[in-house]
This record gives sequence, structure tokens and C-alpha cells, in this order.
Amino acid sequence: MTNFLLIDTSTSRTSVAISDGSKSLFEKHHDGALSHGEVLPKLISEALAVENKIDQVIVGMGPGPFTGLRSGIAFAMSFAFARGIPWSGVCSLDAIAADVTSQDFFVAVDARRKEVFYARYTDGKRIGEPGVCQPAQLIPNQIPIHGEAHNEYPNPINFVEIFKNSVSYCEPIYVRRPDAYPAPVGVKFRALTQLDLVPAFAIEKAAYGKDGWTMAQLKEEYGGKDRMYVAGEFGGELIAYAGVVNLAGIADVLTLTVAESHRRKGIGRELLRRLIDWARTQKCDAIMLEVRVGNEEAIPLYESFGFIEISRRKDYYGPGKTAIVMRKELK
Amino acid sequence: MKNSQGIVLGIETSCDETAVGIVSGRKLLANIISSSVTEHARFGGVVPEIASRAHLEAMPGVIKSALDEAGLSIKDIDAFAVTAGPGLIGALVVGTSSAAGLALALDKPLYGVNHLSAHIAVDSLNSDHKLEPAIALLVSGGHSSILQVNDLTSDVKTLGSTIDDAAGEAFDKIARLLELGFPGGPAIDIDAKNGNPDAIDFPRGLTLAKDLVGHKYDFSFSGLKTAVSRYLAKTPDHIRSDVSASFQEAVADVLLRKAIGAATDSGIDTLIIAGGVAANSRLRFLAQERAAAAGIRLRIPPMALCTDNGAMVAAIGALAVAKGLAPSEIGLQADSSSGISRPIF
Ligand SMILES: [Zn+2]
Repeated sequence: MTNFLLIDTSTSRTSVAISDGSKSLFEKHHDGALSHGEVLPKLISEALAVENKIDQVIVGMGPGPFTGLRSGIAFAMSFAFARGIPWSGVCSLDAIAADVTSQDFFVAVDARRKEVFYARYTDGKRIGEPGVCQPAQLIPNQIPIHGEAHNEYPNPINFVEIFKNSVSYCEPIYVRRPDAYPAPVGVKFRALTQLDLVPAFAIEKAAYGKDGWTMAQLKEEYGGKDRMYVAGEFGGELIAYAGVVNLAGIADVLTLTVAESHRRKGIGRELLRRLIDWARTQKCDAIMLEVRVGNEEAIPLYESFGFIEISRRKDYYGPGKTAIVMRKELK
Repeated sequence: MKNSQGIVLGIETSCDETAVGIVSGRKLLANIISSSVTEHARFGGVVPEIASRAHLEAMPGVIKSALDEAGLSIKDIDAFAVTAGPGLIGALVVGTSSAAGLALALDKPLYGVNHLSAHIAVDSLNSDHKLEPAIALLVSGGHSSILQVNDLTSDVKTLGSTIDDAAGEAFDKIARLLELGFPGGPAIDIDAKNGNPDAIDFPRGLTLAKDLVGHKYDFSFSGLKTAVSRYLAKTPDHIRSDVSASFQEAVADVLLRKAIGAATDSGIDTLIIAGGVAANSRLRFLAQERAAAAGIRLRIPPMALCTDNGAMVAAIGALAVAKGLAPSEIGLQADSSSGISRPIF
């Protein structure tokens, strides 16, 4: 008999089971754990009290929120190493799907940031690798959605069958990249000068159309002791600019714009960091900014710097165009 | 649970170093570090999610290498220790979960330890000097404090700490201003070797008579940072290595003035300097000079044990074992902001 220790920490549920390959010897879970790392060892020691002879560990590799997910995997790897036994990883979504009888369905679990990790299953098989999307994007397919929203969680007892019948994973199924992009190679950062205003206006117009600043506004907003502008230059050409103003101890981001052809290179991140650094040298209590609702590139960037939404302004960018106001404390 | 030999394996993952150390009592057996620092250098700072991913990837290999270096099997370990805080929560959890897996698999005790206490406890290794009482200057990327160590595993008091930036943070920021790269400490240390430490008289934070009333042992580095940035702005033809050297001098000077002051005032004649910034060559040199002049016994761990490492975690774990302290509860919770008043969880 091979005894399997089965662990899943990919959702808000922390689950532990032991199976001898044909029947369950132990099953227990804990819901809504703030810290999987705290709950998991307790469940494991209960499990070991029931059956201490373990021959193999199988752990759910996600997808799921990263910190919780890693705590299960880190535990499984070192437990197996210390016992001198093998471990393997399986897709956690498969362990929800295994309990579903429909022909064609989605499995979806909470991915934070108003998104879900999902996979599609037809005739009992997963179609492709798991992905991440907004829940609303799954609805038009008009097939059932199973998962966390309906209190369906990965059942680790299913791991044994999944392990026997599908490829195993040796790395967490992250789906999302970390909130950091490759370095802005070859980009030079310096102060924005008067000479940059013409190219800056060209970038502004391309980026925001008629919602952006006019040349006159740009000239008016530029300059002044209470503010700071920084420029990003590539091959001698202006490709990005950002500005911040100190309004009575609260810094306000005036603009942060990267030319379309140079986005997703970490330039926005670098500009924002310089604005925050400046706000700190001004001893500002906080730094605020506005961002368009639905700007899925900028919002995660701001969140990764610790900005949080504090309010919304209707029609801020013109009729029907709402702004999210975000704030980061500096004190 | 037998602790006959006191062989302790310590795991550290609070920031960007995945590190495992093994000690036997106060003897260092292994110290293995895998760093993701080059991956963060591109961003000018540690990116938490990148660090956490790197910890999980590196952990099995680092544990195996440490055991190989010590010539031991995992079954020879009597107890485990792990940094439970302070640090990046996602990073800490990889360490605490790995440690829990090892301890539960082998039914051995696990000690969750405070990272800052561990930095000081590393001083216990490879020597049999009396450990306490001592004044400790703990200086790193996240912390700058002066501590009174009555008992490393149970009684550490904070006499003063930074009211704004940590010393190591100031090094990173100034290095960025000087375009010296990340991490800033080693970069400035090297650049400063060609500079004149007396070239520019940068301010020493919280050293005026009026500051000493409420902030006798506290530090402030934000004024220094502003002064350097103003100096650079109004001196376009500055000599960079002079700026590095003068900045470094200001930091080292104020750290030592206050630390030696604390030792003298308290009558505790031992000063330990620990943490990543203790690897700074100018601080080490000045510390020797001034401690000798003040009649204070100075102890600074070897460079490799100053920056984050697993040996320091194992070291404080071994002290806890030797004192017969109870291990942490099963399912100990990582605490990103845990204070030094709680050396063992
Ligand atoms: Zn440290």
C-alpha cells in the first residue's frame, strides 16, 4: 500500500488528506484562513496522528493567490525531503473539476484584483493551461461555472487519480507575472526641460486624444517651484514624462505618460518611483493621483506601490469618463 | 525530542536572501546563501513577488547544500529555527512553511525567531566569550537601532532607533542619486575609497543639544539625504567619490557617536555591531578606533555573517535550545512587523 499525503492551499480553503490509494484515511479542511502557513501545520499534525506512515506527497500547484499557494508547496517539498520520499504537484483546478459531472464547464477560483483563475473542461478533460480573466468574461460562453463562488473547492482526495492520469507540475502555476517588468534598458531619466514640451505634446495627443492637455495647458502646468517634472529619453528622443506638484503637503501626480511604443518596459514604474522620492524629499504626508476607470495597465502598477482607491470622480476625463482617485501615505 | 547535541538548522527568507545555516551549539557548521539580488538590481529595490518566487525555487537546493557542507544528513538535526519576522510577508511564509515541513516530518522542535535578534546572536558563533550584557548597534537596510541586550533569547530593550530612513536605505537612495546602482551599501563603500571623507561637511542628524533631550539614541537620515541631493544639484562639477566618502563618513560618525555613547552611559562595556551595514569598511575601521579610545570591547561578526544569513537564525535557535526554552507552537505565524521585544516566537 502506498500512503499519500495530500495538500492544497490554492484557495481560501486549506485542505489536508491522507489516502492509501483506494480509500481516504483522513480528510480535514479549514476555511477562510488568513494565513495558510498557520493552519496547514496544525492540520498536518492531526493527520499524522491518524497515519504517520507516508510514502508520497501530492500538493496542489494552483493557480491561486501566490502567498498561500507557496506555503503549501514549500511545506510539501520539505516534508518529502525530510522523510526521503517523492513529492509531486498537480493542477488544483482539476481537483474541483473531478467532482463535476457536466460535459462542458469552467472551473474558476478567486485570483484577487477582481479576477479569477480559470480552466475549461470538456468530456472530463481540461482544455489547455489555466488562465486569468475577469469573471464577466466567462459568462457569454453560456456554460456552467464551477468553483469558489459556489463553495466548490479543490478536494485533495482527487489528487491521487489526477496524479496517475495527467502530467505533474514541478513549479507553481502562477499564470500572472510578478508586478515588475524588465528594466528600461537604454532609457535615460533626467529633468524635463522647456525644449521637451513640443515632443511631450505629441505624446500627450497620441495617448489621450482630445482628453489630454493642450499645448497651452502643458506650458502652464510646466514650471514652478512647487512641482517637479521628469523625462525619459531613448536614443535622444523623448519617450515619457511625468510631473508632480506639492499642494500644501500633499503631493499630486499631474501626469505620467509613456509613448505607446515604449510601454510595458518598466518606464512608468521608474517615473513613478522618482515622483514618490521627490514627494518624500518635500516631506509630503501623502501622494495622490487620478487614473481612468478600467486602465488595467496603470492600476496594478499603482497598487504595487501601495496606492489605494479612496474615491471616484465622475466625468473627470470628460462626459462618462470616471477617474479613480488613489492615495499612498508617505508618513 | 532529544536535544543532546544541539545541532540546529536555521532558515532565513525575510528579504531577498534564501539562506540556511547549521550550527552545533556555538560552533558554525554550514552557511549557504542564495541571493536574488541581481534580479532586483534592475528595479533599484527588492520586488517582493520576485523575492518570494526565488525563495521557493532556491529552498530545496540551499537546504541540501548546507547539509553537504556540514557533512550531515537531515536526520542528524536536533531542532529547526526559522525567521518568523520582521520581513516581507510573502517571503517569510516560504521559510516558515519549509521549516514546519521539516520539523513535522521528523518530529523535531521548531523555533520561530526574530530576524533582528538573530543578527545580534550570530556574534555567539565560534567563540566562547560571555554574550550578555551588551549594547548592540543594529544597522541594515530595514533597521537602525541601538539595543540593550540583557539576554539574547528573552530580554532585548530598544534604546533608540531611526525616526525616518534606515541607514541601509539611506545608502541605497544616495547610491541611486549618484547612479552607483543597487544595492547601494557596497557600491558607495567602494566608490568612497577614492574620495575624501572630510571634503563636504554633511549634517549629523539628531546630534544637536536640543535633539538629545528626546532622541538621545535615535537616528535620522532624511536630512542627510536632502543635504546630499541639494549639494549635487548646486554643485554640477562635484567629485563623486568625495560625495560618497563624505556621506559615508556622516553615517558612520553619527552611528558610532550614539552607540559608543550608549555603552558609556549604561556602563555596559561591550558593543556588538551587527546587520548588513556592519559590513561597511569605514564603519568597521572607525568603530575599532573609537571603541579602543573609549575602553569598550568591540565585537563585529565576520563580513559574511553581517548580511542576512541562515547561520544567525541557527545561532539564536541553538541559544534557545541550550537554555531549554519551549519551542514555538505548531503553526507559528509569520509576522512582518514583529518587534525585537519578542526574540523567540
Ligand atoms: Zn537583516
